[in-house]
Amino acid sequence: MTVAEVQASSGKFQRRIQGRNAREYVASAVMVVFFGFEFWRDGDLLVRIGFALLIAGLCYLAWQLHVRASWSPLPKDAGLSSYVEYKRRELERQRDALNSVWRWYLGPLVPGMAVLLLAFFRANPGHLKHPAFIVVPEAIFFAAVSFGIAKLNSNAARRLQKEIDELDEES
Amino acid sequence: MIDAEDRRDSRFEEAAAAYGPALERLARAYEADPDARRDLVQEILIALWRSLEGFDGRCSMRTWVYRVAHNTAASHVARQMRIRQRVFVGLEELAELADTTEGEEAAGHRDEIALLYELIDQLKPLDRQVMVAYLEGMDAASTAEITGLSARNVATKIHRIKQVLARRFREGGRDER
Repeated sequence: MTVAEVQASSGKFQRRIQGRNAREYVASAVMVVFFGFEFWRDGDLLVRIGFALLIAGLCYLAWQLHVRASWSPLPKDAGLSSYVEYKRRELERQRDALNSVWRWYLGPLVPGMAVLLLAFFRANPGHLKHPAFIVVPEAIFFAAVSFGIAKLNSNAARRLQKEIDELDEES
Repeated sequence: MIDAEDRRDSRFEEAAAAYGPALERLARAYEADPDARRDLVQEILIALWRSLEGFDGRCSMRTWVYRVAHNTAASHVARQMRIRQRVFVGLEELAELADTTEGEEAAGHRDEIALLYELIDQLKPLDRQVMVAYLEGMDAASTAEITGLSARNVATKIHRIKQVLARRFREGGRDER
């Protein structure tokens, strides 16, 4: 492969990576459009604040996914790192991302969800007499899903730590 | 700036000329599918070309080329593991595994190179790197520099590789057990 060929391939390769990464953000984009529609449709200020917070949370989440999980070409200094060093850095990065899902994956959605629950609560004063029937199951469901995601990620992080330990033993 | 780019381009041409065939063999050890292998070779060459901008002579060109190639290929394998849900084994387990050859008929139809790549294809990336380096005739110190393993660990792995190869190739590829 000549330099000219590699330069041409490099351009195509970058576009392929960008296309692949872009597909990963489609789900977030669909949700943003949906919440945006709800934001535009609903006249209640609190509901609109809730959807605005959810949209902001989703955008932050998509950006974090891009930073932490997007597929990128090998770093330019790859020749300076042995496989063990390179792999260890990659595994540590993935482990830290999995261990901190509360901060960057689940946390950003909590304010929006909380405000929307509050808005629902306020818009249905009849439920104030029996708030437990409405708010508690929803809150429990949201919390259970969140804890489930966090638990799965925590288990995956432990598996990565095991791989790191194995690498350390080998080197 | 132009000088730096020219230097990178000329280094790349030298490296591609010197290590091109070895990189093809390395890709063969990491990817069995011919189409995916072509992509992998291309990915390695692009990674090498990009990386050579930062080559400062702290290690030899050969070490640099192999590090970039192995790290790129290992990332490729990790992606394939996620997509194809594959599981790889270490040299220790490979030595213990029963040969999947189904008797003399199968053994007769496979040549030694195919059997060798079949063995390599089962290995974890780190063990695969040691095996590829061994087959390329590298010494333990060079392999250690590329992989990041201790020279002693490399020597142990090479010893196991020799055992595995000897066992698998004995009597034309049939396992004696």
